[in-house]
Amino acid sequence: MTTVAPRIQEETLQIKPRRDPFLIILWIVLVTFALVWIAPVVLIAFTALKSNAEIMATSAFTPPEAIAWNNFSGAWSRGNFETTFRNSAIITVIKVPLGLMFSAMAAYALARIRLRFGKLLLLFFLFGAMIPFQVMLAPIFTLVNGFGLIDTYPGVILPYLAFGVPYQVFILHGFFKAVPKELSEAALIDGASHVTVFRRIFLPISLPVLAALLILDFVSTWNEFAMALVLLQDRHMWTLPLGLMSFQGQFSTDYGQLNAAIAMTVFPAVLVYMIFQRYFVSGLTSGAVKG
Amino acid sequence: MFNSKFMQSSRTQALMLIGPALAVYATFAIWPMIEVVFLSFQEWNGLAPNREWVGLENYRYILTNDPVFWLALRNTITWTILAVIFPPSIGLLLALGLNERLFGRVPMRAIYYLPVIIAPIAVATMWRWMYDPFFGLFNQVLTSLGLQSLISDWLGDREIALYSMFVAYTWQYVGFSMVLFLAGLQSVDRSLVEAARIDGANRWQVFRHVTLPALRVTLAIVLVLSTISSLKAFDIVYGMTGGGPAQSTQMLALWAFMQSMQIFDFGRGSAISVILLLVTLTIVVPYLRWSQRDEGAAE
Repeated sequence: MTTVAPRIQEETLQIKPRRDPFLIILWIVLVTFALVWIAPVVLIAFTALKSNAEIMATSAFTPPEAIAWNNFSGAWSRGNFETTFRNSAIITVIKVPLGLMFSAMAAYALARIRLRFGKLLLLFFLFGAMIPFQVMLAPIFTLVNGFGLIDTYPGVILPYLAFGVPYQVFILHGFFKAVPKELSEAALIDGASHVTVFRRIFLPISLPVLAALLILDFVSTWNEFAMALVLLQDRHMWTLPLGLMSFQGQFSTDYGQLNAAIAMTVFPAVLVYMIFQRYFVSGLTSGAVKG
Repeated sequence: MFNSKFMQSSRTQALMLIGPALAVYATFAIWPMIEVVFLSFQEWNGLAPNREWVGLENYRYILTNDPVFWLALRNTITWTILAVIFPPSIGLLLALGLNERLFGRVPMRAIYYLPVIIAPIAVATMWRWMYDPFFGLFNQVLTSLGLQSLISDWLGDREIALYSMFVAYTWQYVGFSMVLFLAGLQSVDRSLVEAARIDGANRWQVFRHVTLPALRVTLAIVLVLSTISSLKAFDIVYGMTGGGPAQSTQMLALWAFMQSMQIFDFGRGSAISVILLLVTLTIVVPYLRWSQRDEGAAE
């Protein structure tokens, strides 16, 4: 949260000296609501750091007295986190950059190269962004099984790519379409290929959008459950959400460790969000929300 | 302007650039959608070498002999209506509030968005624990407030389990609507707002006649996305109740999964999927046509 502090100062300076009573009431309502909204997260964090004896003895929102780090080490080994964490990391680190690359390439071609079926292709991609894959778990299983890829990394990465690409193509297409012609025309007339123009001109200027998409994609890949449930049946191939689900089933009464397990599952996505969050709203607004 | 050789080479380049995305998308997203339609006309346990063609038998069965299907359909419709009303309206109110220059609005935005980042399965685990009838947060808080009469078995009571689950869902997705509305609010013309204020319009009038019209496109996007994401409610149901108690929180996406992957009746599971897909298409296709027409008008 280091990036937040200077912005708060900047904004306090902008508050007009005349205090509007409406704004004061609004502020109180928003802060109260925010406290309620963050309460479950605080609860998880506190409980994860308490011993089971302390959980039973103290009320839910009392900060932990003696910090019980062993909840984390206990949950880590009992919940097989070493395996699930590694699997999640491998899948996410391969899938996210690869998916963004595929999407950016396709979005550039659809936005900047005149193609007879360009518009139709775009619509074809857009269609996929609207179709929930949760509806089609069985045929996805059948297909991946047909390729002999159940319980493998490619077996889960390929469908992840397929269902991530449409939305990203849609957003990046909107962004690339809005880039002024002058920026690429000179290079193209000088004989540069589209691949070069894409790499040297369009990729660098789209970094904020790519950062926003990176957060979204990292988070949704890291958190994905339904498809992993179907495609990864061997527990050595499980990802974090599958591990957490099984942990809940086995050790649901060990509250300290259960909450430590939740915290460890959630933490990496929250970290990535915090690192890239300043690009988030700005990246999504630039050309994206237009339509 | 372009000579044919240049056109050809730029076409080859376009194919190279589109190729990977298109191939993976067509194989792993579009093909399963076609396959699910085939499967819905067949009887298959997922393993046997031959699939038997049974025509509309699977549809007949789920529509006439499967009471769970109708329960799941009713729950899905209830859930969707709730999901289209509550998270977007709360999200809009928060966005309007946090669009004002208020002290601490950036951390507040982050707080409201935080649950969106948490894995739905973790949200299910968290809330399941908070709903625990004996050790859960809710009943503890009610006890300490002296409101014992309100203590419930939040996820164990068939009458309220679906709504308890929906509260967790709302907690998670309000931030998503909020961010989209905040982005949409950036396109509201500030000078127009100022002008309306100078002309004596009050806050409600400014909202009604300036802000709301400018949010038209965002509103459509949020409503369509909320509908779609409610239809695919899966993780949270699986993690919180597994469809129980007594199927009272069963929904179509989960029921399709259970038929295929747990009961090994791929035909019936796929028939449920196709019905859910058709419902989705009746929302998606009009939206796509509307958004394309809008784009055409803008050009």
